[in-house]
Amino acid sequence: MFESHLLSLITLAPAVAAIGLGLIPGRYERLVRWLAFGISLGIFFTSLLMWMVFDPSMGGMQMVEKADWIPQFGIEFHLGVDGISLLLVLLTTLLVPVVIAASWTSVRDKVKAFHICLLLLTTGMVGAFLALDVFLFYVFWEFILIPMYFIIGVWGGARRIYAAVKFFIFTMAGSVLMLVAILYTARVHFETTGIWSFDYFVWLETASQIPMGGVWSPQMLVFIAFALAFAIKVPMFPFHTWLPDAHVEAPTGGSIILAGVLLKLGTYGFLRFNRALFPEAWEKAVPVIMVLAVIGIVYGAFVALVQPDIKKLVAYSSVSHLGFVMLGLAAGTISSTQGAILQMVNHGLATGALFLLIGILYERRGTLLIADYGGIATVVPVLTGFFLLVTLASIGLPGLNGFVGEFLILAGSWPVAPAAVVGAGLGVVLGAVTMLWMVQRVFWNPLSHEENRGLRDMNFREVATVLPLVLFIVWIGVFPMTFLAPMEAAVRLLLE
Amino acid sequence: MLFVPSSSDFLAILPEIILTVSAAALLLFSISARPFKRYVGEITLFIIVVAGWARLTFPLPGKVWGGTIQIDAVSSFVDLYILAAVFVCVWSAGPFLRRAEYEHTEFYSLLLLATVGAMVMASAVDALPLFLGLELLSLPLYALTAFLKRTSISLEAGLKYFVVGAFASAFVVYGLALLYGATGTTNLVAMGHAVRAMDGLNPLLALGLAGVVGGFAFKLALFPFHSWAPDVWQGSPTPVTAFLSVVPKGAVLIALFRLVDGMDLLILSSRWLIVGSILAIGSQFLGNFAAIVQRDIKRMLAYSGIAHMGYAMVAVIVAGLDGGTGVLVYMSAYTLMNIGAFAVVAFFSIDEGEAHLISDLQAQGWHRPIPALALTICLFSLAGIPPLFGFTAKFMVFGAAVNGGFVWLAVIGVVNSLVSAFCYLRVVYVMYMKPESSIATEFSPSFTLTAAAALTAVGVFVIGLYPTPILTAARVAALNLVR
Repeated sequence: MFESHLLSLITLAPAVAAIGLGLIPGRYERLVRWLAFGISLGIFFTSLLMWMVFDPSMGGMQMVEKADWIPQFGIEFHLGVDGISLLLVLLTTLLVPVVIAASWTSVRDKVKAFHICLLLLTTGMVGAFLALDVFLFYVFWEFILIPMYFIIGVWGGARRIYAAVKFFIFTMAGSVLMLVAILYTARVHFETTGIWSFDYFVWLETASQIPMGGVWSPQMLVFIAFALAFAIKVPMFPFHTWLPDAHVEAPTGGSIILAGVLLKLGTYGFLRFNRALFPEAWEKAVPVIMVLAVIGIVYGAFVALVQPDIKKLVAYSSVSHLGFVMLGLAAGTISSTQGAILQMVNHGLATGALFLLIGILYERRGTLLIADYGGIATVVPVLTGFFLLVTLASIGLPGLNGFVGEFLILAGSWPVAPAAVVGAGLGVVLGAVTMLWMVQRVFWNPLSHEENRGLRDMNFREVATVLPLVLFIVWIGVFPMTFLAPMEAAVRLLLE
Repeated sequence: MLFVPSSSDFLAILPEIILTVSAAALLLFSISARPFKRYVGEITLFIIVVAGWARLTFPLPGKVWGGTIQIDAVSSFVDLYILAAVFVCVWSAGPFLRRAEYEHTEFYSLLLLATVGAMVMASAVDALPLFLGLELLSLPLYALTAFLKRTSISLEAGLKYFVVGAFASAFVVYGLALLYGATGTTNLVAMGHAVRAMDGLNPLLALGLAGVVGGFAFKLALFPFHSWAPDVWQGSPTPVTAFLSVVPKGAVLIALFRLVDGMDLLILSSRWLIVGSILAIGSQFLGNFAAIVQRDIKRMLAYSGIAHMGYAMVAVIVAGLDGGTGVLVYMSAYTLMNIGAFAVVAFFSIDEGEAHLISDLQAQGWHRPIPALALTICLFSLAGIPPLFGFTAKFMVFGAAVNGGFVWLAVIGVVNSLVSAFCYLRVVYVMYMKPESSIATEFSPSFTLTAAAALTAVGVFVIGLYPTPILTAARVAALNLVR
């Protein structure tokens, strides 16, 4: 009973808990924090249980749950996990308690509402990764907008309204056309079979029956509508402009979730829907995706280089890192795809940790300008140590997680698109320069600002918050097979 | 042949009879029994519940009254959402009228009469009861619009609505007369048969259709017949605006659908598609873009209402079973979320003569969490964000458009949803995110209004999560609605 409903438990428990939290009077802030933390930790352990139950030798969906939802249209509450979504769900449920812990002192206003939003967001994210009914996926995907809009808009920085609205409108702009594409595909299925279905597995057959031809053929247009929604979320160049704004203005917790999970929804969507449903159209689009991915890698790194603001710098480096993921997906070999999926997780961990540490810095000093720091390594040695480690992970130092992902992507893409790999290689170097230069200017150099002399180092809570992320960063770096093994069968199945 | 009504004819329209008799009785009693006045709101609510119960309990015999009225699944579906809307209107009218010092029984009496008009109109399959219903719906509303007789914008709204409304009614009746001339029958079904047998449009038919469609478009506030709506919505007493925003539209759109589908206008003339899509697309663009710049929330909702009628028109254009289901689901969703939004607007108002500025809602999200959350849910639902009822409705309408081969109408519709999200987000922003440098305006709390708003918001949410029963009911009703 418990195991057979494991996925819906992980998906729906946060939302139910959020409604429960709503009933507690808002003045019991500590209670709300501890409850939310306990719930999210419980959900994380439940998803660890899912990992235990998961059979890595199988490529198909496991722990599948199916129930009628809107029978008139064959819409089902249909969840399942395979090696691809497994890691992403784990990443999500890991990051939520981290975010709650990270917001312990930085979110002081409207504590209850913040945690409600966060738990609702969890349901949306996990649901989107697990949904096997395209309608259900769309519902989760769109629903995410509401709590994230509030998180950025209420607890964000000075230009938070602009950033929140931009985030909402950009994402919705992509997804409304996806809705039409979903309706169209469902109609094609209805016309050929006489029954309504939004089932992902059924659609694997249906989608290829949509007339295919040039760019303006129906299948290509449906493909583009899906791709646009995901490309905005990733974000791929040139749809990335919302990201720096959203990242900079979001509170620490929001940035962690945004970088850690939301962006992965885009790359996951590309793999799960564009790649799997429309293989023919995908083949045609690969060159475009590759070019945009490489542009994103190089452009993101260059723009990051000149940012005066730490958060913005990391945001642009995200554009660059997500370009690697897209390159790996576009190359489409087994190892490049595995690398791309692993890199999604890596980026979530490393960038999540970076935003967490930046948040700690911001909480103490109230500024994110690189110029306001310098030489604080001697003042805050623990923070410096963690920051350096995470930065090195992010730029791909061997022995840490980023290296494994980037190596697999580049090695896997080489036989398919050597030119793109060369371009991406340039991005690796640039990215390293950008990040290390930033670390140098913030932590080393002479201590130029007197007010930095009194900075407090990380306390126990903060260390405990960042430790789980560091643990996974090292684990993936040293022993990636733990994470690559379960996805191999699924990737093989998806690509063939 | 003289028509002699039987007892089943009377039984079929029992809810209408209950409402009409009660409306008259309320007037009489209020003159004689003073203490009774205090409970008139509660009594009206009870009457509405009884009418709804009667509609649900008694059989739906189909054509009655010599085939002029058809009481079937459509009637029960439409009547129920109309009665639900009126219930919330009356419920929220109590505290509103008390605050504005306009506690007159006539208010409830007129509201009930207008309700009967809407119900008759939705069930009419003959031009005469159709027009009768339209007038019975409109006349009490002219008076209700101007109900706040000491407030100039209410009087202005009443006059404007009366002039424009009478004009529109004239168009409708003239159009119906021409249609009668063209087809030789007043029965809508027979009219449809006759028109489908024709070989394209003839001038008489075209003029008749133009009159009826134009008149209905006035009542629905569709572009380019929309210009009265913002002023009237803004000036009317808020519960009346709530009524005005949903009930006439819910009835008129059904009548329009019957006409369009019965005559199969898409087949009849290629020009209908052009006319229909100008009405639909024009309303969407105008409504959504104009809503963005409004400062008064009632005006904002008026423009958004114009846009929503534009979405619903898409389903009317598509017609057929899918279109019919779409219209019914859309109107029920629109009714629920708009009524909820207006209950909150009534909550957040001090003086009816003043504008209901969106900026007055500043920080209410934290100050008055329940009404603000209810408004937020209704607005997100209006924007069509899942898993709310508004999304289900858009899914049905745009799904019908795609199935009917009108992918472009669906694309324009979703692009407009995006634009509309912008103006709804602005209200949410004001309530939750605007810097709280100044203190939130103090509105006197009202349990009734809070409860009404919360209930509709919960409804919007629950139906959105589990739309199956309402989709089934709409499907069954649509089978009766289409020819």
